[in-house]
Amino acid sequence: MASADKPINTDVPEKDVFTLHFLQSLSNLRRQNTFNSPEKTNDRVKKIKKAAYVSMARAAGGTNRLWSRALLRRAAKENSKVVRFPRRKKRVTCLRRRRSNRRDPVEEEEAERLRNLVPGGGGMETSKLMEETAHYIKCLSMQVKVMQCLVDGLAPK
Amino acid sequence: MLDSLLTPSTSSHMQTSATTFDHEDFLNHIFASAPWPSVDETHAPQPPPSDVFVDSRNQQIMMMPLSSHHQNDNVDGSSAHALYSGFSATGSRPFHIPQGSGGGPMHQQGQTQRQPQQQASASTDTGGTAVSPSQSRTKVRARRGQATDPHSIAERLRRERIAERMKALQELVPNGNKTDKASMLDEIIDYVKFLQLQVKVLSMSRLGGAAYVSSQSSEAGGSHGSASSAVAGGNQPTGNSNDGLTMTEHQVAKLMEEDMGSAMQYLQGKGLCLMPISLATAISTATSHTRNSLIPGAGDVGGRPSSSNLSGKTVQTMNTLKLNSNGNCMAEGSSSIAVKEAVSISKP
Repeated sequence: MASADKPINTDVPEKDVFTLHFLQSLSNLRRQNTFNSPEKTNDRVKKIKKAAYVSMARAAGGTNRLWSRALLRRAAKENSKVVRFPRRKKRVTCLRRRRSNRRDPVEEEEAERLRNLVPGGGGMETSKLMEETAHYIKCLSMQVKVMQCLVDGLAPK
Repeated sequence: MLDSLLTPSTSSHMQTSATTFDHEDFLNHIFASAPWPSVDETHAPQPPPSDVFVDSRNQQIMMMPLSSHHQNDNVDGSSAHALYSGFSATGSRPFHIPQGSGGGPMHQQGQTQRQPQQQASASTDTGGTAVSPSQSRTKVRARRGQATDPHSIAERLRRERIAERMKALQELVPNGNKTDKASMLDEIIDYVKFLQLQVKVLSMSRLGGAAYVSSQSSEAGGSHGSASSAVAGGNQPTGNSNDGLTMTEHQVAKLMEEDMGSAMQYLQGKGLCLMPISLATAISTATSHTRNSLIPGAGDVGGRPSSSNLSGKTVQTMNTLKLNSNGNCMAEGSSSIAVKEAVSISKP
């Protein structure tokens, strides 16, 4: 184990990347026939939300981040699509360290809660989880900004 | 210019190093003389072949200017001066003497000057490159009084990592000035929930019909509060009885125990929203409504484009939250209580 970590990389792409992906997904949604019917607003809400998350996951680094992978996999499972991710060699060493490093029950309950919130958090140890959380928070806030701008821009009057 | 130096000269020019040089020879002397004064005397008288730079002196030649860089400035200056003047094909004498005579003392000078330099730079090795930074990288040195067995080292490293990441997270999360780790984690969790809720609300508001929503942070004050503006248009209200309000409140109270998010969803489904009491009081004073009575809001709020009417009952169980409703100004007169309902959105 190295005594000094590499600096944590939590860079997030700019707003326009997010906007691009989100708008693409929205236009895909619009092409669906059943989308614009007024009765099924609930489904519409859900679909938009899902589209938001998926586009966010794709914009924020595709399959390089654990949470985005888990999100995409979850979404793909619902659509019964098969998603393939390139295998990373790092997995093995992470699993090997798991048993010895996950102790400290004081913070474990909080870490449990965090794991439930952040997608893909189930298999991570705490330090990795926090790294993912930081990136996730940044991406979420970027996505919120994008959506807010869209709403403000497209709202009537 | 160098070609002239390389041409083999007659032996008449060959002398000992003490006096004059050959044209191609003086380069060797210049380069070789300073750190290796002894070598100088033995090698000098030999007539160098035309391929002068091939022999091992090549390395000496190459290394000399490099080593001179490590030395002090005045030492450098003298050797540089020597090099410089060495390339001019004029008198070899003037610069040899500082070479030859300075070669010996220069060497010692260099060494003594090198040492204080290194001591000044606080490295403990003598001569050569510094090894200490690489040493600290290869081995984790235990501090005084702490165990050095691998388990505690691993634990310490792990804790350091987690602390490092917590610091990074602290900057991201607003209100991240808590020093306690547990409360910091609570803040983080709340913030993630809040952001997810915001995404959800924004995706709902894109339908163009949602109500005003403000954040649900009851304990954390207004830190996360940001209202997303929405267009309240085209909602058809239906009448609602007074009992429905009580039921709604009970339902919401029940939902709030398990999960704030679902409580908010339920309320939004009814076209209601939650807001802190402070905000509600501010609105009520602005619209000159009293809090305690049920007042139909139609007549009073003609001026405002979107009215907010306060429901009369404050639910005691919810500490700082009040039910509030938002609706169109045109639809107000229809019901005696100030609750409007949006039909288009139903609870998922």
